Amino acid sequence: MKRYVLVRALYSVVTLWLLVTIIFGLVRLTGDPVAMKAEAGADPAYVAQLRQSWGLDRPLYWQYLGFVGRLLRADFGHSFEKSLPVRDIYFERLPNSLKLGFAAFLISLALGVPFGMLSALKVNSVWDNAGKAVALLGLSMPGFFVGLVLIIVFGIELGWLPVLGKGSSAFVWSAPSTWAMFWFRDWGHLAMPAFALGWYFSGAMLRITRSGMLDVLGSDYIKLVRLKGVPEPMVVAKHALKNSLIPVLTFAGLNLLIMVNVAVVIEVIFNWPGVGQLLYDALSNRDFPMVQGVVLMSGLMIVLLNFTIDVLYGYVDPRIRLSR
Amino acid sequence: MATIPIGADRTIAAVRAVRRSYRVLRDLPMVPMLILGVLASVAVLAPVIAPHSKLDPVKPTREQCQAKFGTPDCPYVDNAPPFWSPGGTLDTPLGTDFLGRDVLSRLLYGARISLIVALTGTLFAGAIGTVLGVLAGYMGRWWDEIIMRITDAWLTLPSLVFAILLSSVRGPGLWNVVLILALVFWSRYSRAVRGEVLTLRERDFVKLAEINGIGKLTIIWRHLIPNVMNTVMVLFSLQVGVAVIIEASLSFLGVGVPPPEPSWGLMMAQERESLMEGRWWLEIFPGICITLLVLSANMLGDWLRVRLDPQLRNR
Amino acid sequence: MVKRAFAILPLLTLMYGVASGQSAPSSSKPILSGPLAKLDIKDAQIAAGRGTPKGTLNVGLHFGIDPGWFDPLGYYGPAHHFYYLVHDALIKPMPQGEFTYSLAERAEMSADFRRAAFRLRPGLKFQDGHPLTAADVKWTYENYRGLSFKYLQDKIESIQLVDDRTIVFHFKGPFVDFLDLYSGSGSGIGWIVPRHYYEQVGKDSFKARPMGAGPFKFVSQEAGVQASFEAWDQYWRRAPGVKTINVRGIRDLAARMAGLETGELDIAYGMTGKLLQRVMADPKLRWDPNFTAPWHLVFPGYNEPSSPFHDQRVRQAVSLAINRSFLVKQETQGIGKPWGNWISHENRDALRGDGTELPVPPYDPTKAKQLLAEAGYPNGFDFDWYVPFAPYYDMAERILNDLRAVGMRSKMQMLDAPAYMAQTSKGRKGFPGNRTIVQRIDPRPGGAKELIRLYAVCGGPASYICEPKIESLWARHEASIDVAERERLSKEIQRAIVEGYNLVPIYLNPFVHAVTQKVLPEGEAVHRYWDTVNAPFPWPWEVWEVKR
Repeated sequence: MKRYVLVRALYSVVTLWLLVTIIFGLVRLTGDPVAMKAEAGADPAYVAQLRQSWGLDRPLYWQYLGFVGRLLRADFGHSFEKSLPVRDIYFERLPNSLKLGFAAFLISLALGVPFGMLSALKVNSVWDNAGKAVALLGLSMPGFFVGLVLIIVFGIELGWLPVLGKGSSAFVWSAPSTWAMFWFRDWGHLAMPAFALGWYFSGAMLRITRSGMLDVLGSDYIKLVRLKGVPEPMVVAKHALKNSLIPVLTFAGLNLLIMVNVAVVIEVIFNWPGVGQLLYDALSNRDFPMVQGVVLMSGLMIVLLNFTIDVLYGYVDPRIRLSR
Repeated sequence: MATIPIGADRTIAAVRAVRRSYRVLRDLPMVPMLILGVLASVAVLAPVIAPHSKLDPVKPTREQCQAKFGTPDCPYVDNAPPFWSPGGTLDTPLGTDFLGRDVLSRLLYGARISLIVALTGTLFAGAIGTVLGVLAGYMGRWWDEIIMRITDAWLTLPSLVFAILLSSVRGPGLWNVVLILALVFWSRYSRAVRGEVLTLRERDFVKLAEINGIGKLTIIWRHLIPNVMNTVMVLFSLQVGVAVIIEASLSFLGVGVPPPEPSWGLMMAQERESLMEGRWWLEIFPGICITLLVLSANMLGDWLRVRLDPQLRNR
Repeated sequence: MVKRAFAILPLLTLMYGVASGQSAPSSSKPILSGPLAKLDIKDAQIAAGRGTPKGTLNVGLHFGIDPGWFDPLGYYGPAHHFYYLVHDALIKPMPQGEFTYSLAERAEMSADFRRAAFRLRPGLKFQDGHPLTAADVKWTYENYRGLSFKYLQDKIESIQLVDDRTIVFHFKGPFVDFLDLYSGSGSGIGWIVPRHYYEQVGKDSFKARPMGAGPFKFVSQEAGVQASFEAWDQYWRRAPGVKTINVRGIRDLAARMAGLETGELDIAYGMTGKLLQRVMADPKLRWDPNFTAPWHLVFPGYNEPSSPFHDQRVRQAVSLAINRSFLVKQETQGIGKPWGNWISHENRDALRGDGTELPVPPYDPTKAKQLLAEAGYPNGFDFDWYVPFAPYYDMAERILNDLRAVGMRSKMQMLDAPAYMAQTSKGRKGFPGNRTIVQRIDPRPGGAKELIRLYAVCGGPASYICEPKIESLWARHEASIDVAERERLSKEIQRAIVEGYNLVPIYLNPFVHAVTQKVLPEGEAVHRYWDTVNAPFPWPWEVWEVKR
């Protein structure tokens, strides 16, 4: 077991290091950040000073070593665009993304799981297709379109929900009193972006639930339960559902992380101050440290999660840790 | 047992054949396939069936100019509604956009661009991913480790973000978007294909080929790749939908297929404000097209997955 | 009866005087000896009474906020939006005029432009109560590291502190444009930074929690997303009219529109393009055209004989091909003005392009085709790229359409903002080949001479134009210290550029701002907020008022 854990830890480290290198190189191909701050006619002294303060006048390997070295001290550098430490800005925004991600996750479960179950129970029927259509509709329409329609209908025409940002609730790391309140206030601001994002992912939830249930419903275990004479609703509710939720929950964590990190379009439309918008701004402004920092943090989260899942699976199922 | 006359034999056989094909056909996902077929033929036939140019404004009649601007001469009539609304004409049945171009023609040509981008992008991604996946699964420990670590690293990058990054490097452009799609999504294939190959290589026919001294490359080409095609095809049809949405999102963020070439994603992205202004047709029609395409591709992919997965086949 | 009427008159005059606010009399004691240059600096308007700040103003910026903009020592970009909130300068552009006394009550320059002197008002403080003295002014000048810092610091021979309130700058040579750069608009060096606070908290913390001498105190920010400010009622000029200002960065046009409609925003910038019609049609919104500068087209590399734009007739054909009046109607709902110059009319030395000084370019596609035929292109020609200004892609499509109609065909090269800025700020060198047309606009302050220096002379850092006639005029301009002659030469250069079609002006761009009903005063009087010369944003902020 220990060997298994060590091997998987090593894999994680290698993956992370590869990610670091890839993003370092890729981001430097995108252009010159100095151009964003130095307008036409900026004096060369200012430009040179800027370049030097950002470390861009050093050779590439020097920058790389410096970058990795600082990473080991959990220092992501200073944002070019926002002139403040990347780490501070990132952790200021992260709770917002987590809030949005959690809410979207719950919505995707609420939409995807029931329809998935319905699809599996009435395979290839009208219900199956209708359920699939509704959930898949969420990922068949671009997010900016869904968001815009929601804004127009609920924000402008009906006036029920606010359309901008996240309201005034702030999660301040240094003030624990804000930690709890943050999650429950301003849900009105959260409703539309969470719905748009959640609907998109409900398709995936539906698929997972459906195939999970189909697997379980065809298994010997369920046949046995049926043979025992248990009424059908009980078969479904008590036995099939429980077992089919396992793959859902396995993917749940991964999907949640993806939602947290990927909601760029939704965040831009609703002006939600999360890490997606942070990353998009950073990319637009060629803000190398910020791009590197955000991508690495999201990569770190995913790698850690995968590692945890692998270890848990290895613990639960001996076949896995003994195989390749 | 009563005897059946010979002529009736043939009839029964024919009826049975029809019944069989009916069963087969009934199992096919008719609606998605029909929609995809229509879209594909529209894309191919666009230059023939499009009533107007995709780039140039429609030449307006004097009455149209008079109605919109109050003078009989004008360069073009912009933002004309669909033909069933007041101010619309049958000449431009789905209306015109801000530059007076016919929406229907642009939608027809847009099918080409959207389909080309989504299909070729996903195709290249699939090709790269499949090759790498087979190599990883079959060629030995080091190949496997290296390719899988790279795949893992690649997978941790969120796709849209990665796409934006790549577009900052390459700039906007149709083939750049295709390249971006290929580079972003190949990792989805290599994982699944590798898993398949790991099972396949233990199968008898592969072992037999190895014993007979057939070279690795030949085995890959003749035995492994054809057998992973099922998985690849399922992934492909599911990924096409994702590619269309990514292209639309890239256009929204300003880094997709550049104007004035019409692509559905670009049309949707450009006309968001028109929706707010009440000129719904400019945003809704391309939206319907994209939704139909992605929905059909997804439903086809789901059906394929069920069909090609032996465990689920007999449901 | 008559006696009573006479008694009321002085009372009325007194009331009127109190209500309208008095102008502070500028102190008449000179600082410098010797003959002085004639400067046109307007007096500040100090309110007689101190009102109470009331209400909240929510501002929708069309780009994300950079905390670096709170620090004048590192000035670049649209930072002035925030300087007018948190900081103050000795002299700055205000509704009264391009140069208006603010922290300074008197400014002088010697006639040879080698010395500049300022006297601060008495009793000035920073927002934490610490006094603002000439030492802070000197420290700010010496520690400035923003745009043009080397240029400004190299010109200095010495800075003399005469007393707590008086400071004299001694230059190495005549520095005619000093006030332009110092006046708080051309660079950040004029905005006074509190030395005691800056040295105490350091650069990063200053950006996270800035403090200055301006009318609003910084309250809080979420980096890049929003920032909140609160009125400082000890501000020397007046107590601000609004109690709280929240500035939010909202890139998406539709989102800003939605914010205005739901009331989450009270003012939003950049309401352009397709939504302009909605803004104009909405009875609950008022809008200001806020003209910034004229759009124009430049031809990088037109000087080279292989370029299709080498022949002046071709460039003239480009100008004739564009249907400006229709373009303006479609793109800006008719607000934009077809313009004959490439420099904003708000610059005092710019020629007006509305027909009074330079003609409005005509629309004549037939003549355009004829000129093309004469120049050797009877069937038109293809050129490589048309580079639009992000995100005005609709406008670019319209212009491309017009050009295609007379035979000049091309594709749009969409560059996002960093790529666009990186390439265009290098001038001709930013573009390979010589078959490109670039659409540009530049609303920077500093007058026509600044734009000419940058773009229209061979040695300019972003040069697109290189003509011997302009070079000789410019040489004479630089050598002269007579302000009137300089202005005359600058105008000659502008005329030469426009008449030689070295660039093609299109129309004066309205960068529309929209406000909701919450903003006072009601009705059309709200336009007074945009009275400041050459200001892309409606500063100063202390005069804004909103309903409760």
